Amino acid sequence: MTTALSKVEIAYIRSSLLSAPPLRADGRSPEDFRPIAVETGIAPLANGSARVSIGKPHTSREKEAEGAGGGTEVVAAVKLEVDGVGEDKEGGKVVCNVSCSPAAYPHLSSPALDDLQSDLTSVLGSVLSHPSLYPKNLVIVPGQKAWALRLDTIIFADAGNVLDCLMMACRAALVDTRVPSTRSVEYRAPGKRNEVPDDTMDVDEGRNGPSSLLETREPSGVVDFELADYWDEGGVLEARDSWPVCVTLNMLPTMHFLDATSQEESAIPLRLHVLFAFPGGKPTLHGMRMAGAGTSDLSQIRVLLKNAEKYARNMWTGLEAKLAEEEARRSIKAREKFYGRRRR
Amino acid sequence: MAQSTFDRRRVNGPEESFPPVFDDEDDGGLGWVAMRNRGAEDIRPIFLQPGLVSQANGSAYIETENTKLACAVYGPRQSKTTTYSERGRLNVEVKFAPFSCVRRRAPLRDAEDRAVAIAVHQSIVSSICLELFPKSTIDVFIVVIENDGTEGCIASGSIAASTALADAGIEMLGLVASCSASVRGDEIRLDPVEKEVAAADGTVILACMPALSSVTNVYQSGRVSAQGALKCMELCQGRCIDVHAVMAQSLLSSRASMP
Repeated sequence: MTTALSKVEIAYIRSSLLSAPPLRADGRSPEDFRPIAVETGIAPLANGSARVSIGKPHTSREKEAEGAGGGTEVVAAVKLEVDGVGEDKEGGKVVCNVSCSPAAYPHLSSPALDDLQSDLTSVLGSVLSHPSLYPKNLVIVPGQKAWALRLDTIIFADAGNVLDCLMMACRAALVDTRVPSTRSVEYRAPGKRNEVPDDTMDVDEGRNGPSSLLETREPSGVVDFELADYWDEGGVLEARDSWPVCVTLNMLPTMHFLDATSQEESAIPLRLHVLFAFPGGKPTLHGMRMAGAGTSDLSQIRVLLKNAEKYARNMWTGLEAKLAEEEARRSIKAREKFYGRRRR
Repeated sequence: MAQSTFDRRRVNGPEESFPPVFDDEDDGGLGWVAMRNRGAEDIRPIFLQPGLVSQANGSAYIETENTKLACAVYGPRQSKTTTYSERGRLNVEVKFAPFSCVRRRAPLRDAEDRAVAIAVHQSIVSSICLELFPKSTIDVFIVVIENDGTEGCIASGSIAASTALADAGIEMLGLVASCSASVRGDEIRLDPVEKEVAAADGTVILACMPALSSVTNVYQSGRVSAQGALKCMELCQGRCIDVHAVMAQSLLSSRASMP
């Protein structure tokens, strides 16, 4: 994250940023992002996955193979696991984890790398695992079983602005996630048929489930579930348009800029990470963190927050368009795969 | 507990433990209303005492109702690492006592310790003149004796750390005061306790130096509108001025009582 820069280098970066017009090493204006590439569905064994890279000059595969890198690259994948539910809890949880590839941080010792990982994990956890974002359809059998959503991310390369990249990858992976459709299964003693046939429930008649002759309490009804065999991989997560994106404002007194490279990151005194979501076009703030040894004041934060909302909305619209495109591609692919298997 | 994380030097307690469930804990629908026994913009009374740990260069103990923590500052002392650094390093470590929470916390380091430490570090780092301490480290150790919500811990931790730094005579730009707020709907409550945080949509923690009217840390989680967050920050900054007075008073009286 921080590469060692000399005083002169820092002064050079700062003074060129503060000159009019502001100058950056790669010729961008302060509000420009480097090119962002998003691809979803990259891990076939995950329930949802995405790869996001910022600042890779070549996105085509042939060029990639040549090793034309130099960008920040993050992969996020969602795995759903069946989890038991404790007493009086609704069940289901979102667990986040960030691992940093040592290749991305060759200058860090392994304890420092662990600290970095746990810091990023705790940021991600405090934002995405917050009860206000909890998707309701993670519950399988109310009070008994639920999906535990595990969101694992790996940072493969860091060329600055890793948190924005990370949050974008998380959002893409969570939007890409399909929760397998399940059907509840109920065991009932033979001969005691329910008068009202419930067509959403699969009644297993052949087995004499947990209720025995000695059982005096009311049978609990639904006890287990089975996976529905259907061409679709399942439904999307509920309220998936509220997973936020992050905008990092790099603050030098009197100006701020976006998408810092690692050199720029180590030359500025203060960063403000702002996480916004726009469910239904309405902006909601999902997290705010300050990092660095500088100070700010409330009037400055007010201006920055207004700007951050604008930048986040731009990023959001761009990402939405890309994700919609990826989704169209995905459902076509999934359908082809299913019918292709049937024909064989 | 897995064998690898088993610490033989400590009394480890049972493998699993559960907090007792009380009948009166479930106070029905009015939980959010009944939780508050003070005004929405009132903070809990603060007891702050510098200089309790005699072997530390500076220390402070803070108690705000059920949040109790002790902070000790050692340094500036020579950095253990061999690399030269022009600026001093600030090292913050937070430890939760095993009995500090409703559920027992294993005495091993966990993620929350580090998250609180990072937040406290961010709150106080810009107040210290670290450029005056090349090649040195300032260690800040915080022990949470009783925990009533992470938000309260971060806010009180920052206050205690800043007071302890002042008590140690370390040069600072100003004292850092901190205050937290919780938002539910349009309602803002300052200095929430753990239950209020759990029932709220989102929380904001602000750390600032009231003497310079500059903000050193903003820590927001959960769902809040941008206007709501700004409102919270304004209210918190107002309260921080009061907290600052408490800190200054406690430092003055501890100096006066010294021989």
